[in-house]
Amino acid sequence: MSRTLKLAAVMGVITSLPIIPSVAAAENLKVVASFSIIGDFAKNVGGDRVDIITLVGPNGDAHVYEPKPADAATVGSADVVLVNGLQFEGFLQRLVEASATKAPVVELTKGGEVLRNTEEEGHHDQDKAAKGEEGHAAEAKEGHEEGHHHHGEFDPHAWQSVHNAELYVKNIADAFCAADAAGCDTYRANAESYGQQLAALEEEIKAAVAEIPEDKRTIITSHDAYGYFEHEYGIKFLAPEGVSTESEASAADVAALIKQIRQDKASAIFVENVTNPRLIEQIASETGLKIGGELYSDALSDENGPAATYLEMMRHNITAIKGAILGS
Amino acid sequence: MRTNLASATAIALFLSLSTSAAHAEEVTAWRLFISDHADPKVTVIDAVDGGKLDTFKIKGPASLHRSESGRTVFAVQGSAGVVTGIASGISFEDHGEHGDIDVEAPKLAGVEITGKKPSHFVEHDGDFAAFFDGEGVARIISEKVVLEGKSDFREVKTDAPQHGVAVTYGSHVLLSEPNREKPDELPVGIRVADEAGAPIGGIHACPDLHGEASSGNILAFACATGLLVVSHRDGTPAIRHLPYADSLPDGKTTTLIGGRGLQYFLGNYGADKVVLIDPTVESNAFRLISLPTRRVHFAVDPVRAKYAYVFTEDGQLHQLDVVKAEIANSLKLTDPYSMDGHWSEPRPRVAVAGDKIVVTDPLKGVLHLVDATSFEKTGDIAVEGKPFNIVSVGGSGQTHEGE
Ligand SMILES: [Zn+2]
Repeated sequence: MSRTLKLAAVMGVITSLPIIPSVAAAENLKVVASFSIIGDFAKNVGGDRVDIITLVGPNGDAHVYEPKPADAATVGSADVVLVNGLQFEGFLQRLVEASATKAPVVELTKGGEVLRNTEEEGHHDQDKAAKGEEGHAAEAKEGHEEGHHHHGEFDPHAWQSVHNAELYVKNIADAFCAADAAGCDTYRANAESYGQQLAALEEEIKAAVAEIPEDKRTIITSHDAYGYFEHEYGIKFLAPEGVSTESEASAADVAALIKQIRQDKASAIFVENVTNPRLIEQIASETGLKIGGELYSDALSDENGPAATYLEMMRHNITAIKGAILGS
Repeated sequence: MRTNLASATAIALFLSLSTSAAHAEEVTAWRLFISDHADPKVTVIDAVDGGKLDTFKIKGPASLHRSESGRTVFAVQGSAGVVTGIASGISFEDHGEHGDIDVEAPKLAGVEITGKKPSHFVEHDGDFAAFFDGEGVARIISEKVVLEGKSDFREVKTDAPQHGVAVTYGSHVLLSEPNREKPDELPVGIRVADEAGAPIGGIHACPDLHGEASSGNILAFACATGLLVVSHRDGTPAIRHLPYADSLPDGKTTTLIGGRGLQYFLGNYGADKVVLIDPTVESNAFRLISLPTRRVHFAVDPVRAKYAYVFTEDGQLHQLDVVKAEIANSLKLTDPYSMDGHWSEPRPRVAVAGDKIVVTDPLKGVLHLVDATSFEKTGDIAVEGKPFNIVSVGGSGQTHEGE
């Protein structure tokens, strides 16, 4: 919906009303973000011109989130819906259908460099990178009956590369401009200044990785959420669970991983904020690796945590990784 | 035994499928399983063409349950003291990018679980728990074992006969706790038992426990005071009590069903109302919806997550918008079925089969078909006797040559 049109409509109402409602608040673009990281990007681009509702909040796991009727109502009344795509949000199709929303549902990974899901191998190889538009072709298939969803052909965790985060931000600015032309200059300026912070962040990460000896750059996490980080920055991640947390690791997967850890001489092991720590604790005790702390993979922390924003999350993660490896 | 007949049908079906399926082909199959109010039988109808596929003789009038996978249907015959497993003949295999469908003839699985007064039958993660009121015992069996035709069940005992329920939960079992002072009344709570049947922790109070359902990763029991909401916490069940809101009139839920696609619960609340429940919030968890007359039966739509259906005694089917919490459409389908009289009298039941809503009309001996998209009546299927309980299984998938 055009912001200009709505503003004109409200102006008409105001002239006939003695009490002026809070125009600025009422006129903000209503944005729904599927999960916390996108919510943070949207806030940086939208500033005070947008009202953001995030469906899967801090420390929430979007892979297995179950949408509520209230979420459908929220999406139904949104002006713009921002999602990751690449089947990260397994709930997306049924939620959008139930909401009957007329708002654009914008996949922020669109146009990005997308990695294939290499679940069989258990980790990601750099040569498996596939580029371009095909990345968002894998729309959730309308399979048999209810809500069941399939793992995608692609790794959805694209935000783990800061380079991709810049694309998310650009796509958000485009979506906001399309929905609210009057605010476009503001969105572009916000995106530009946030982009500079992202560029600085990326340099910090690269500098931190450079301090880690190359033969110590293998670490363990719960699920395959760091393929893009690995591809972009050269830290190798191994995980017992695949790119979705939906299916649990089998005993055979865990045994294979333990064997691989011994061969690859992994330097550190981490729990994740969105997954149960028990499996990692078990692997740590069997391999003698000390748990190096908590990484934030698919969600931010709450406001009081160490990863309340994307910038903080990425800094926290690389600091924890570097600290655990160099301290080991 | 019907084994020979069933396998002959399976071969015929297999041949007809493989001649038409030279390569991968999209196939849609839906089946209706219908019990009779008086006769010990289950009729199977092809919901796509309306034809009768088979009739299975069982031991008593049955209530029906379908498994989450749709591969199994259970006929719980309270008066005959037996639960009979039926293989639906339709199964799916997930291949990531597409789902394969396999269609065979339905057949009796060869599994019977016997005991005194089987009542509540609950599946959780592929394990079925049949509760036998007359013994206060739950008999638990996995779908895999049922489909292998084995009646290998394990037993979990409660302290006394009761109109109870059991639900498996990973390696734990949730069991209703009988009312010791008044053994004829409903259970008073839930306790958790470990793999060996030993209790873990105390009793979670749930006075007048009756009704349970799952929606996504949450399980709920209905109590006189509210809901017991069960979710995972590090592999063990975490149980909390969600009290009815003060704004609700006096009443309680005694039948609960779980949303599919969207996470919510739908329960009865008073004779002429239903309540929509969001188990994940602390406030505004309950939304009450008034019906024009008393309620006969209700069901959720597993395909169109936005809708549930309620049948009322004036013969109307109502389409409930669970997002807006209001009746979106109503359709007169049958003569009135008064709720006066015994609860178990023959009255309509509702099931959803793909794009069709199917309503049994036991006194007329027909099934009414309603298009789920247009919400208009599209036809009838005659069924001998008094078609009563109904479940549907099916869906769409690919078949491949040589499968
Ligand atoms: Zn993930």
